Amino acid sequence: MKGARLGILVAWLAALAALGAIVATQLKVGTDLRSFMPAPTTPDQKLLMDQVGEGPGSRLLLVAIDGGDDAAKAALSRGLAAALRKEAAFTQVVNGDFDLGMLDTRLMPYRFLLSPTLDTQALDEDYLADQLQQRLDDLGSPAATLLKGLLPRDPTLETLKLAERWTPARSPEVREGVWFSSRGEALLLAQTRGAGFDPGAQDEAIGRLRAAFAALPDSAGSHLTISGPGYFTVVVNAQTRDQADWIGRISTIGFIVLMLAAYRSVSSLLFGALPVATGALAGIAVMTLCFSEVHGITLAFGFTLLGVAQEYPIRLLSHRRAGESAVASVKGLWPLLLTAIASACIAYLAFYASGVGGLKQLAVFTITGLLAAGFTTRYALPYLLPERARDVADTPGLARFRGWLDALPRPRWLPIPVAAAAVAMLAFAPGPFWQNDLSALTPLPRDLLMTDARLRGELGAPDVRYLLVVQAPTADGVLAASAKLEPRLREQVAAKTLDGFELPSIYLPDLATQRARQAKLPDRATLDAALDGALDGMPFRKDLFAPFVDDVETARGAPLLTPDVFARSPLGQRLAAMLVPRGDHWVGLSALSGVHDASAIAAAVASAGANARLLDLKDASESLVAEYRTRILHALLAATLLLLVTITLALRSVRRAWHVLAPMTLATFLVLAVERVVGIPISLFHLVALILAAGLGLHYALFFERDTGDPAEQRRTLHATVVCVISALLVFGMLAWSSIPVLRAIGLTVSLGVAFHFCLSILMAPHARQDRLH
Amino acid sequence: MRVLDKPLVVSGELAWLGGDRLERRVDTPMKETSTIADGEVTQEREGKKPRSFSLKRAPQLKVLLDSFVALLAGDPSRLGESFEIALGRDADRWQLTLTPRDPRIAKQIAAIHVYGSGKVPRCMRMDESDGDTSIDLLGELATKMPAEPTREGLIAQCGGAM
Repeated sequence: MKGARLGILVAWLAALAALGAIVATQLKVGTDLRSFMPAPTTPDQKLLMDQVGEGPGSRLLLVAIDGGDDAAKAALSRGLAAALRKEAAFTQVVNGDFDLGMLDTRLMPYRFLLSPTLDTQALDEDYLADQLQQRLDDLGSPAATLLKGLLPRDPTLETLKLAERWTPARSPEVREGVWFSSRGEALLLAQTRGAGFDPGAQDEAIGRLRAAFAALPDSAGSHLTISGPGYFTVVVNAQTRDQADWIGRISTIGFIVLMLAAYRSVSSLLFGALPVATGALAGIAVMTLCFSEVHGITLAFGFTLLGVAQEYPIRLLSHRRAGESAVASVKGLWPLLLTAIASACIAYLAFYASGVGGLKQLAVFTITGLLAAGFTTRYALPYLLPERARDVADTPGLARFRGWLDALPRPRWLPIPVAAAAVAMLAFAPGPFWQNDLSALTPLPRDLLMTDARLRGELGAPDVRYLLVVQAPTADGVLAASAKLEPRLREQVAAKTLDGFELPSIYLPDLATQRARQAKLPDRATLDAALDGALDGMPFRKDLFAPFVDDVETARGAPLLTPDVFARSPLGQRLAAMLVPRGDHWVGLSALSGVHDASAIAAAVASAGANARLLDLKDASESLVAEYRTRILHALLAATLLLLVTITLALRSVRRAWHVLAPMTLATFLVLAVERVVGIPISLFHLVALILAAGLGLHYALFFERDTGDPAEQRRTLHATVVCVISALLVFGMLAWSSIPVLRAIGLTVSLGVAFHFCLSILMAPHARQDRLH
Repeated sequence: MRVLDKPLVVSGELAWLGGDRLERRVDTPMKETSTIADGEVTQEREGKKPRSFSLKRAPQLKVLLDSFVALLAGDPSRLGESFEIALGRDADRWQLTLTPRDPRIAKQIAAIHVYGSGKVPRCMRMDESDGDTSIDLLGELATKMPAEPTREGLIAQCGGAM
């Protein structure tokens, strides 16, 4: 018998190792939050989903360098920018290092097509004469040294006009050639390739940024401040993991102590852990088979939800009678245990029905886990447990506790005042019922937010809330529509409803505009004649402007500049970020900075007659969350009905089903009511936690409802339930103290739920009075 | 003279308004006033919109301003911050040679020579690194501007002030 036990243990551990190997080799953890969002339905939501984290604003990291004198900080800024421009993790790095050569020399002749000069002006003798006279005056002015180098190739200073056009409206002060804040920090903007709300990608990008900075000579004495949505994502992620980790460690120790105290056996503790371990590994293994990538949140939530499975071995351990083999006691328990497993699976099925990618994974993980833990508890664990076990019915004090509980008054009308109280609390609760603002669940330290606001203000960095969206069937269509918006937005800037804006057409005009400008360029002979005339009587050297004439000739015959070609220039990245293909059409995304009056801007955008609108990302995300919740609630409703049928069939009695389901339902609403009455708006995380608590409560009610007619067995039920309640309170009670709202929401909800479920299921159990008669 | 085939002559008045403020008024050949004040250079030309740009965009101008102000205010320590100073004397006459310390400035300005006698600076010559030269004849020397100036003639005239 002992050999057989050892054989089973080895086989089980081998199976675990095999599952572990599958998990270790196949598991790919994703971190993109979007897989936890529902499929978008409205166009705004679709854009939001594309934009969550991918919009130009949310991929920006704001960097400030402090320490040392201006020259040292400027050198660090230049060094960092140069290093990051070589990194694949960054698409664009700007630090005010203003370079007239921003326009690639290859594209220099295109300046006539890019600059609006030719829209109102021809390159004729009058214009050239006027320009040359101005250049001559410039040479006699303090600006001479600035302009002298440009003169032969660009006497009309088109490159300067373009540079002015491409310089953000509000840019920080430039010292030593780079941006500086009013506090004297060197400033830098880095756009990451990865999405802003993808903690994995952002963590890597920030790591590279810090490494690049540390690798610079003389960076040791300086301090790097980073801000922006991506940085916040990383901070929140790290904080959450940190707290979850230490809470988890304390809970684990508490749990071990509890198990040892309850069963006085190390082997029970160790063997009792096997079903849940099997469940977790099997769940992950199945997930890796079903999905190409498993979300990090699925794993975190999944382990939490799988906590329910710890009940199965606890029930088996607590319900053993003295002298009875574990196999015999599990056979007695199994019908009830199976009902419990099936009902928990049904509750978790609601996640699958929600149709959200991440939640589907969660359902697959938890349902597989519950089944694996349940069936190993039935078919493997009993064969491992020692032959003899202490009967927990004899635990000192347990009989007294049971007696005290039985003596409590159990009025039949109890559900009525409880339900009335819950309804009243829900009706009079302060504040909004639902929490629609996802960011409220990921609060940031105040000083981080203040730093961000300060740097954003100094850099004139775009607003992350608003986005100007232009749609057209082709990229050129987007450019043409964007050109129509330009004057409208300039009016808004003048009216001070807006500080600044970017549009794709500022960088690259549409083909029709380019063609019109190209048609206005004179041929070589005409230009030569005009230039000769203009130069008459001027002291400029003969042939000085040959490069200019060559450029005009090149521009006349050059193929028009398309976004593809432009994208290969240093500035092209900026355009590429603003002009993106979406399925069968193109979208232009423009960042706005300093939005003071969103409705005025929206009206101005609408009046431009282009297919464009102002997108409020906050509105869109709130509507998305509301829709998300509706789906989950519908799925829950369906799951509840299914549960009703399952329990009624399993117990073969509507009356018994009522005794199980009534306390569970009542307790669930009571949790909701208590949270609402203290002013907590209900978020998605509360809903997930309510489902978990309901799953636990269902188990308590099922076991308390069971009428064995044996006081010792009733004591064992109480023992098992108390161990389950304490272990749940240990884990979730700790979470309730967390400073992170997501963890607190889950912790508080489950703790309250477990307490209410326990109390109500014991007070509403039908046969307590009969027990006392025995 | 890399862009012009004869020297460009402008005349007017250079005024130090105290502090870091300098006004340069040109009377011929065109009317123009450039003001450097509070880190901004503003250029106003007859019949044109005024243009202005930050002094930080034009570090070489900043150096020029520094040298003027330090010279006019008689502040050798400030001059010494930006330049290597060499002083040559011959009786009452003197020559000050200023070489920029910042290598980035030196790429554009090779040296500034100031010639004078007694307490009066009479001529200022700036040698640009590309070989161009700009010469400011100051005070009474300005009245001696020849009708058809040549580069060599002007350099001699300026240096002759020593």
